[in-house]
Amino acid sequence: MTGNAGSNAFAPGALAIETHGLTKRFGSHLAVDSVDLAVPRGSVFGFLGPNGAGKTTTIRMLLGLVGATSGSISVLGQPMPASLASVLPRVGALVEGPAFYPFLSGAANLHRLDTADRSVDGATRSDRVAQALDRVGLGHAAGKKVKAYSLGMKQRLGLANALLAPRDLLVLDEPSNGLDPQGTREVRSLIRSLAADGTTVFVSSHLLAEIEQLCSHVAVMSSGRIVSQGTLDAVRDQDVSRIRVVTTDPVGALRVLADFGLEPSVATDESTADGDVRVVLAPVPATDPGHRTSGIQPEAIVAALVAAGVPVRGFTVEESSLEDRFVALTGEGFAIAEGHSVR
Amino acid sequence: MADRSLRRWLPAIVAPIVVIGGALAVPLTAGAAGVPPEKSAQEVLELVGSNEVTALSGTVVQTSELGLPDLSGALSGTGTGGDSASSALELLTGSHTARVYLDEAQGARVQILDSMAERDIIAGPDGVWFYDSSEDTATHLALPDDPTGSAGTDGSQSDATDTVPTPAALAEHFLDAIEPSTAVSVDNTSVVAGRSAYDLVLTPDSADTLIAAVTIAVDSETGLPLSVAVTAKGQSAAAFSVAFSDISFDTPDASLFSFTPPAGATVDEQLPHAYSLSTSANGEHDSHLGDLAKNVTVTGDAWASIVELPVGDLAAGASEESADPSGSASSLLDAATEKVDGGRVLSTSLLNVLLTDDGRILAGSVPVALLQAAAAD
Amino acid sequence: MSDSPVSDSTLSASTAPGETASVRARPPRGLGLALLASELAILFRRTRTIAMLAALAAVPILIAVAVRVSSSGSSGRGPAFIDQITQNGLFVGVAGLILCIPLFLPLTVGVAAGDTIAGEASHGTLRYLLVAPAGRVRLLIVKFLGTVAFCIAAPLVVVLAGTVIGAILFPLGNVTLLSGDTVSISESLGRALLMSAYVSVSLIGLSAIGLFISTLTDTPVGAMAATIVISVAAQVVGSLDQLAWLHPWLFSYHWLGVVDMLRQPILWSSFGDNAILQLGYVIVFGALAYSRFVTKSILS
Repeated sequence: MTGNAGSNAFAPGALAIETHGLTKRFGSHLAVDSVDLAVPRGSVFGFLGPNGAGKTTTIRMLLGLVGATSGSISVLGQPMPASLASVLPRVGALVEGPAFYPFLSGAANLHRLDTADRSVDGATRSDRVAQALDRVGLGHAAGKKVKAYSLGMKQRLGLANALLAPRDLLVLDEPSNGLDPQGTREVRSLIRSLAADGTTVFVSSHLLAEIEQLCSHVAVMSSGRIVSQGTLDAVRDQDVSRIRVVTTDPVGALRVLADFGLEPSVATDESTADGDVRVVLAPVPATDPGHRTSGIQPEAIVAALVAAGVPVRGFTVEESSLEDRFVALTGEGFAIAEGHSVR
Repeated sequence: MADRSLRRWLPAIVAPIVVIGGALAVPLTAGAAGVPPEKSAQEVLELVGSNEVTALSGTVVQTSELGLPDLSGALSGTGTGGDSASSALELLTGSHTARVYLDEAQGARVQILDSMAERDIIAGPDGVWFYDSSEDTATHLALPDDPTGSAGTDGSQSDATDTVPTPAALAEHFLDAIEPSTAVSVDNTSVVAGRSAYDLVLTPDSADTLIAAVTIAVDSETGLPLSVAVTAKGQSAAAFSVAFSDISFDTPDASLFSFTPPAGATVDEQLPHAYSLSTSANGEHDSHLGDLAKNVTVTGDAWASIVELPVGDLAAGASEESADPSGSASSLLDAATEKVDGGRVLSTSLLNVLLTDDGRILAGSVPVALLQAAAAD
Repeated sequence: MSDSPVSDSTLSASTAPGETASVRARPPRGLGLALLASELAILFRRTRTIAMLAALAAVPILIAVAVRVSSSGSSGRGPAFIDQITQNGLFVGVAGLILCIPLFLPLTVGVAAGDTIAGEASHGTLRYLLVAPAGRVRLLIVKFLGTVAFCIAAPLVVVLAGTVIGAILFPLGNVTLLSGDTVSISESLGRALLMSAYVSVSLIGLSAIGLFISTLTDTPVGAMAATIVISVAAQVVGSLDQLAWLHPWLFSYHWLGVVDMLRQPILWSSFGDNAILQLGYVIVFGALAYSRFVTKSILS
């Protein structure tokens, strides 16, 4: 279940972000474990993983905020953190949520952060701040103190900060966090337009459906490791499908499915009308030709369930989705539980 | 990565070492002028005698490690009249810094730099002024003679020594006492106030005295004594020292020597003859107590001299010179003294003072036992 | 989840004219003083900074008003400076400055210096400044210069407020120095400014300590409190005779030497010794802050 053909499909010069053996250890805790990222230039790269998987630590290392314990990083073809000063002006970032001076207005905040960048032209600062604010739809709130901003407005302001200067690479950590559906759609559209201009966009998100719509490439991180990486299709297509059994005897269903070499689990979040009825799910990685469970026929499973006396109320073979793939890779269903992905 | 981070901690380790090391090393090497040619003790004494410094400005630091109890608390409540016994005692404890300006043609000025305050003695064409900033009082001593003549300057110098002895005055004092009883040598050269100096060491031959040695640093160029340090027996650090911390032989600004009491200050005009009286009797060791000198008897030789006077005179002298009630001075003495056979003793590393039960005072740079023996005679 | 372009009313997808697919690397322009200007603007426009300066200005004003209300002739007691106020309003600023030295000024400097890095960390703006990129060393220098500016402003505010209120409430006249000499009003104003400068220099060592402490934590209040506690502790140690050997090494050692500016002639060596001592603190704690900050993991 490790890397696939996609991670080696690009020449080194064509990579916007490239890491080798990137590791970060906090005391005895291995936060990031030997990560090899390969983000092609011009791609919209989805960076997935449950909370605590090490996504944010990885992003912080990419941006030079945290020193790596070992491993190498290259951003826009330059070694990091040695070339921080020349690389970061070409990188716009939204790291772990927006953060601003609450006592300053939105425009003053952008103004402040823009002065930190020595490479930009101070004469155009006010124009660029106004443009960036307009671009994220905050033109009307430019003079308002940030402490009066809603979470969504702060998120937009964070995006505006990332867009203060022309960028080659945008690193966006949870860009849609706190936005309403309309805002989410706007952000998606913005990212698409930036990507169309040739900007590489590295998006970390747990909004799987959004990543699925937006990204050309995906990496999935779990417990500090990259568990899958490549083009969206390559990652998604590996996944087959999922067997969904509705039954009043989940224990029996689990046993039968396990006999087929599957790894079934009882869905905890799917409610059914009848309190006794449970949903049992089992991913089936059948397209992998070498896999021992390949070739499992759904009808054989139904027959086995019936033969075992499991009362089957429903049996479905669901199509593959990134979400299924994600759950299969990380063993976690948090994104579903958080309820953000389905609106 | 770990290597780089280690390197980045280097400044944090190096900077304190460099700064602290530098702070410790700079005074040792500062002004390390060339070593002057060797001179014998006689030649150095001649150098002192030929000293023709007529103008200087500098900072003098006086330190005392006499082993006296800390009297600063008791002293602060007493008056600060420059001639009072408490003022003299105050100078014997702790350290003081004074700026000294001297121009033989114009006058002299000594500024004792107290914390948040200052005491000034200005001897100029219009007489001698004493100004105390903490009390905002000015005392004026008009001169009886030609105000611009040399008498004014001489008076000012001895007045200055009343409060903070200048190195020159102290050195002369000890050089006067050079007798067969003293071994005089030039040990080595040192650097005082950034100038190279000969260290003239006076070692008493007498076994009876508390004084181990008196070291006088003589400026190798001008012959001006730059520092005087008195070492007590059994101590390595100087028990009492007066030294220039910086000195310049440029003529000070003439405006320093003229003084107009500030508006609002209490001005006290003193009669000239009272001053003359105290200076004329001022031939003995205890120049602070000049008025008392008339009743003093001296026994013993040179370094082991014992000075004796009746106690009644001390009280009279103190109340005459200062506004303090004499009770304050005596309670101060009680605090500083301890009881021994035959009276109470004020003991320091350089000087012992015995106040006998029958009301006499015996003082000398000798062990207490010798004072007791002298009192019994 | 429809994604029709028609709905994109607010997010403009247009590209600025001339923008190319690849951004050329932009070399740094000049010293980047804009960040310093922005730092100073934020510092001195902040309500908290203004409140601290106002509180400092209130000290000489309160002294002057209290003395004016209660004075029925010279009492002869209390510090000599307070006594002189009634005779000459020019002493109000000096008296206020000296009263502020032990506690009020270190308190405000502790707040300003303790907030430098820790304040940015607590807002989360530290990570955005660093990815801008501000550069860690540059940010540290800018932050230090900001506290130096505060160190200059704080005593100046005390002196100016005191001088103004003194001029209103009391007569003005020539000023008596510690040495007993009298100087004109204009020279005495110069001396007051010199005292202000002396106090500014005096506080710089403490700022460097505060800056270092600020790099240790993401909690500004903790850094401020620690800095203030250190300034109090230094003065306590400075008052213990048993630790006399340590006194010349304390950053507070020359603090009250500010009155040396009131001697005639001015005791410049006091100013110089103080400056060298403070410089030593800046070098040591600047180096510590540098080492700490460039190796720090920005996790806030």
